[in-house]
Amino acid sequence: MAQRLGQVGKLLVGVWIAGVAIAMFLVIPQYEGLGNAGRIVIMHVPTAWVAVLAFTVSAIFSALYLWKGRPAYDDLALSAAENGFLFTMLATVTGMIFSQVVWGVYWNWDPRQTSIFVLLLIYAALFALRSAIDEVGRRRRLSAVYSLFAFVTVPFLFFVAPRISDSTLHPNCAFIQGSNCDGLALEIGKIGLLGDRKVQLLALEQQGDVVTAQVKVSEPGLTSEAVLTASYNQATDAMVTRPEFPGTRFQLGLERADAATGSAQLNIEAPGTGLLENRRTLLTFLSSVAGFTGLFFWMFSVRATLLGVQWAMAQRKGARA
Amino acid sequence: MSNLLEAGVAIYVAMAVALSVWIGIFVYLWRIDAQAQALKQELERERAVNQGERPAAPRATVTRVSPAKSEPVEK
Repeated sequence: MAQRLGQVGKLLVGVWIAGVAIAMFLVIPQYEGLGNAGRIVIMHVPTAWVAVLAFTVSAIFSALYLWKGRPAYDDLALSAAENGFLFTMLATVTGMIFSQVVWGVYWNWDPRQTSIFVLLLIYAALFALRSAIDEVGRRRRLSAVYSLFAFVTVPFLFFVAPRISDSTLHPNCAFIQGSNCDGLALEIGKIGLLGDRKVQLLALEQQGDVVTAQVKVSEPGLTSEAVLTASYNQATDAMVTRPEFPGTRFQLGLERADAATGSAQLNIEAPGTGLLENRRTLLTFLSSVAGFTGLFFWMFSVRATLLGVQWAMAQRKGARA
Repeated sequence: MSNLLEAGVAIYVAMAVALSVWIGIFVYLWRIDAQAQALKQELERERAVNQGERPAAPRATVTRVSPAKSEPVEK
């Protein structure tokens, strides 16, 4: 009965993810300014979340192994860590494709990209550690301890580090309104950082209710500079002109401006802001999270079974020799 | 070839590629899963036999499909 239910569950995962793939292309609307390329978000974010889940499961089984000492727990911990690594790689690759579309480059050493790269290195070191120790019991104990320490870095590297950084282009700040994306208050002549772009407020000019700001924008590494003109309507409290940063699809927004005091509030605005406000997009996104979670548990169980079989065969070989 | 990259068609092509990749992964995973389960059961059965226990399930059953013409003679 349990086996039959398992088969049904696996088939359901197959059909479910196929449905998500179809919905990703045909059901959800295009994101403003991003075209079809923005659809990759439906895969990118869920794979990152599932990676966190996988590393959590790995840490739980590592702790259980240290407590109970059952080899099966080590197999489960390793299986979860390997799957977490795989899903992190998927999140990284899909994020790189997205960043190429939005930022104009695949890799920008953005805090989010850097932190996920460090996380990949930490878990790659776990696999290197395992393969470097021949004695089975020692290998299991050490990797369980290492896995627990590695897990401590996961919340920091996934959630904290990219958010405490002022200089990030990752959509945490730019896409989701109301998140930690306060923008930058500048006075005329002053310099600041928006994302990874250096900006300098050159001048403010008032014509009726509309205030226009001249802003000098520099590429990372100061490879090129451009002067952008953004404007803001004081009467309606709305942005009027939002020029694009050179080479990217991000826009410079003038959120508030006071020509009398020479101060302005600048922000970086991404096309597709509030993308999950669309009901169809949100449902497809949540379905994707559910589908990838199911896929993870399936892959986790298959890999753990294979590790158990591998161990049993090694034992049999040893007994015969 | 260029027809496949036209705006109206490209999205269906991309969807077909994504679905094909997923179907490939799914079939591969299904087969690996079935083989791993079979190996696991085989090892469990072998272990049970080695420990002198009865296997959890018989390996084969013999069913007589037609009645014997005569009783077998013991020589």
